[in-house]
Amino acid sequence: MPACRFGDVGRSMSFTRKYLGHGVGLRQPHFSRWLSEKPAVDWVEIISENFFSRGGRPLAVLEKVRAETPVVMHGVSLSIGSTDPLNAGYLAELKQLAARIQPEWISDHLCWGSHASKYAHDLWPLPYTEEALAHVVQRVHAVQEALQRQILLENVSSYVAFQQSTMSEWEFLGEVARRADCGILLDINNIYVSARNHGFDAQEYLDQVPVARVGQFHLAGHSDKGTHLLDTHDAPVPDPVWLLFQSAVKRFGPVSTLIEWDDHIPELEELLCESGKAAALQHQVLEPRSIPEFA
Amino acid sequence: MSLADTQAAFFALVTQPETIRQGRALELFSGTPELPADERVRIYANMYLWRLVDALRNDFPKLAGVFEDDEFFALMEKYLRRHPSGHPDVGQVGRHLVRFLREHPDPSRRPDLADLAELEQVRSEIFLETDADPIDASAIAALGAEKFARARLRLVPALQLRHFEYQVAPLWRSLDEEHPTPPPQRSANDLAIWRKGFSVFHAVLAMEEAEALRRAMRAAPLEQVCAAYSQHDSPAQAAFSALSSWFAEGWVAALETD
Repeated sequence: MPACRFGDVGRSMSFTRKYLGHGVGLRQPHFSRWLSEKPAVDWVEIISENFFSRGGRPLAVLEKVRAETPVVMHGVSLSIGSTDPLNAGYLAELKQLAARIQPEWISDHLCWGSHASKYAHDLWPLPYTEEALAHVVQRVHAVQEALQRQILLENVSSYVAFQQSTMSEWEFLGEVARRADCGILLDINNIYVSARNHGFDAQEYLDQVPVARVGQFHLAGHSDKGTHLLDTHDAPVPDPVWLLFQSAVKRFGPVSTLIEWDDHIPELEELLCESGKAAALQHQVLEPRSIPEFA
Repeated sequence: MSLADTQAAFFALVTQPETIRQGRALELFSGTPELPADERVRIYANMYLWRLVDALRNDFPKLAGVFEDDEFFALMEKYLRRHPSGHPDVGQVGRHLVRFLREHPDPSRRPDLADLAELEQVRSEIFLETDADPIDASAIAALGAEKFARARLRLVPALQLRHFEYQVAPLWRSLDEEHPTPPPQRSANDLAIWRKGFSVFHAVLAMEEAEALRRAMRAAPLEQVCAAYSQHDSPAQAAFSALSSWFAEGWVAALETD
């Protein structure tokens, strides 16, 4: 698959974006469909930890899918921002799975979710300080060294902001990517949710993220709880997020885009329909000739 | 405040929400009139417990089926307070649940729930166990009598033998079929639990067959495996019948001769 250079990607230090098209998550309710047919999708993303098993149906499905479709590994437990030591066993399992399925890339979240060896299985925000920045950068270097590849880090939805933060979330995200020489998985829904929850301008966020570092988009649904938006991944992508996506496509060009749907998972057709909508919107925004052709 | 101290304080607030106080939360976080800092922290505290209980409900659906939703939530909250998740895979959050249920019996609960949870846990482990291609019974037919006696079975990894204090199979079946649950019945029994293709099965084994399988799992020669049936009316026939069924169920990965 050819690498796509777009905008100022060509001036980046060393991150090269690879364009895969439009994908969906590989989730258990659709396993039988994936075993019996090849759904029309450009690529799939897996939750890495769900495939750490030694055998059985999940791995069989994954290997069948991998033989036909590009796969990306997306983790939820790296806990890159935690002050706990990096979990060597976890990294070994991640590396083992990557060796087995040869993903297009590996991503996780710019957050923390473990403390004193206890895991919350949640994506907690960091204070945006120089100390946190240096801590994360050093750990990203260590992870990339262990995995022998660059990783992508995703911005998370958040409900709290730390008093001690000295920079904006987008400044922190961009600096992590630049100093650690990693990529960014830009979750458009998370930007929208956090912008509403904290009262910042989602467009300003987009405008400040370094184009050259963005390797993937996430799109998802959320729930409106009245006082705040909750990142639930249990509904179609809402209109304001589609609008923000169009704005992101304008700025970042063609970026591999994935629909996330993790709760109340619908029939595969509905997921594919959402993915098709993302593709159509991208076509509307971009000149058709700027989208790479694939063999 | 250092990053480590900030994370320790945040973790304490989220995992012990009873400690959330407006003043303490405000020291760390910004709030708004619509959503004050303590309410923002409480969003994370609520998600912490709900997410983990939800994972336990997914991993132990039969156990959850015995309880009303709020009863199950309360029991799992007690479990999580004692055994917070210590593994990056949320699928491991229930790995101490069987021990917790055994160590914390409650007269208001059925006494066979630890056995039920153990069966669910083993079935989940087997679902994800290493794949192995089983062989069929023709391998035995090709052996002469002398080689047969010394041969050893190598069993597939996705097979376990478990001993239970209570009759857990009827309870499982009633929950599976959504029938009224039978009363707990204390009566020691052995279950074989295995995977065939992508499906997991379990079956109660007769005493002789359980002993034969136990010996086979210890890589005893077939002569000793079959000797588990020595008190049977027709020992050779009974042993042959059991061995044949093991091959038919895909339990045997190899037949190893010296």
